[in-house]
Amino acid sequence: MENNIKLNFENYLNEKNFSSSQKEIKEDNFDNFIKNGFPNKRIEDWKFSDLKQIIATNFDNIDFSKKEKQSNIDENLTVDLEHNKIVFIDGIISKIDFSYENEEKVVVEQNSNLEKELSENSLLNLNTAFVSDYTKILVKSGYQLKKPLILFNFLSNDLNNIGLNARLDIDLEDDASLNVINISNENLNNNFLNFRQKINIGKNSILKNYNLDINENSNFKYSFKDINLEKNSHLEYFILSKGSKFLKHDINCSLNREYGSVVLNGIIDLNEKKHHEIKTKINHNEENCKSYQLIKSTLNDNSKGVYQGKIYVNSKAQKTDGYQLSRALLLNDKVEFNAKPELEIYADDVKCSHGSTSGNVDEDSIFYLMSRGLSYEQSKKLLTNGFLNEVIEKITNDEVKLLVKKLMGINE
Amino acid sequence: MLSIESLKAKIDDKEILKGLNLNINPGEVHAIMGPNGSGKSTLSNILSGKKGYEVNGSVTFEGQNLLELETEERAHKGIFLAFQYPLEIPGVNTNTFLKTSINAIKKARGEKELDAIEFLKLIKQKSLELKFDEKILSRQLNVGFSGGEKKKNEILQMSILNPKLSILDETDSGLDIDALRIVSEGVNSLRNKENSFLIITHYQRLLDYIKPDFVHVLKNGQIIKSGDYELAKELEKVGYEDFN
Repeated sequence: MENNIKLNFENYLNEKNFSSSQKEIKEDNFDNFIKNGFPNKRIEDWKFSDLKQIIATNFDNIDFSKKEKQSNIDENLTVDLEHNKIVFIDGIISKIDFSYENEEKVVVEQNSNLEKELSENSLLNLNTAFVSDYTKILVKSGYQLKKPLILFNFLSNDLNNIGLNARLDIDLEDDASLNVINISNENLNNNFLNFRQKINIGKNSILKNYNLDINENSNFKYSFKDINLEKNSHLEYFILSKGSKFLKHDINCSLNREYGSVVLNGIIDLNEKKHHEIKTKINHNEENCKSYQLIKSTLNDNSKGVYQGKIYVNSKAQKTDGYQLSRALLLNDKVEFNAKPELEIYADDVKCSHGSTSGNVDEDSIFYLMSRGLSYEQSKKLLTNGFLNEVIEKITNDEVKLLVKKLMGINE
Repeated sequence: MLSIESLKAKIDDKEILKGLNLNINPGEVHAIMGPNGSGKSTLSNILSGKKGYEVNGSVTFEGQNLLELETEERAHKGIFLAFQYPLEIPGVNTNTFLKTSINAIKKARGEKELDAIEFLKLIKQKSLELKFDEKILSRQLNVGFSGGEKKKNEILQMSILNPKLSILDETDSGLDIDALRIVSEGVNSLRNKENSFLIITHYQRLLDYIKPDFVHVLKNGQIIKSGDYELAKELEKVGYEDFN
């Protein structure tokens, strides 16, 4: 596989006419990826999700050559709320629609210049090596979008054993606000998707980001988000992790100025042999910031769920308020759930807590519901939906909350 | 309607019911009184199909062997247990639960399920009859309910499902006088020629509000005496220990 990837990279460099500095950045990153390969379980961040092993088991080869042809796409994914949209097909923009907005205030541009960096994360190296044009969404100072922006990700049906690297940056200037929904409709073939987002939230700005991995697909996905918050800004982040065969959400969120706050809620709801992980690192770098995390998982069949969450508190970050809780329902004895909650605190005047529980559905509750005429399966479904509903109820955008309930089959 | 013959029940090798006999006809209200540990809750659990007991003897409900039926099938046939400790079900809206419940029962009986409007109408009417604050129905099922609210919610469920046999397991425990009166009025409003009740309690107090046709004393896993309402009064005077 390694030789093929090298060949893909050589061809790619030859096709594109990069400047020598860009070429150097890409080559350095690529070399790093080749040196380290896909991350394996010996790396602490990957101890519960050995990607190297997973790739080896599921792929004979991954083709990273650029796909320009777009064909045979299921675009019939309709979402029942008024929205702006950007449609990506195989990682490339195919449609931009901001008809609800003042288009001078929302700028979508393609960028091909990458900054010089060499991460220790080999998947970010891979991403930097192969991403040429990436998208940047800029919301200008003082502008609040009227309708949410949906980022649709579609994959061509005929893509198989493909490696796709994509990058998207979102930049909110000061006093701006944006609701973003990420939703994907991918195919039932084996592909490896490596997505990266860089997000900056300016002073007094609010970003709500809802990530819905709901549609059944056989892809293996890594999503890395690097989020920076300025003074008095707020991030609401929601993850529904459900549809993909393998998915790791990796979130690195930094509260860089005073009074920033993050609410990060997630659901891992798995069946079959799916394997999903949510990994978060919240960096409290300044005083008076707040972070709140609630992750709930329901695991069926032979699935595996992982939550690794770290709250880091810098010595400057007094009066930090950090909270983190993971709860998992293990619905049979063949599932596996791993949680690693961590606090790393260098300041002395802070309030931080974390907790993690996992267990079965309560048989007494099942008996109660069955005594009211519900079948065992119906009772279990109601209990697990109720368990997850607590997370959904934390969504502050009512339309999105309704959408998520509908997608989850939870009726009111 | 319900006929229990030589019912024995064990849990973890401990014999709790030791040959219990009881007959309930349509329209009758029976009260079972007994001290702690006499087997009262075991009886209600077994009648509603809770797992974990080793059961012997026979229980027939309207001519059918009840012990062969699953918990939900018993509910479909018209058996209702008002729980001593109703469970809190986080994240499940009370209204959603009630609608799921009534429609599961209607579906099993081959009746037409209620649509949203019919359901709301029924809820409104029943809440009014039982002087039950409707607002509570939009909250999560039993979560954060006071003891009284939980018990009233059980009675509301009973009223909506209109069961043939209602078993009330220490519904009076933890209720103040006002809640006790409201709960009792709820039960009394459901009394008719067809519906039967089995009321399980420690105290005579509840029976002052819901007058039973028969009173049975359960002690040591057996009914040791049966009589009418006067028996309850006598019990209250003598106490369980000296009662033989």
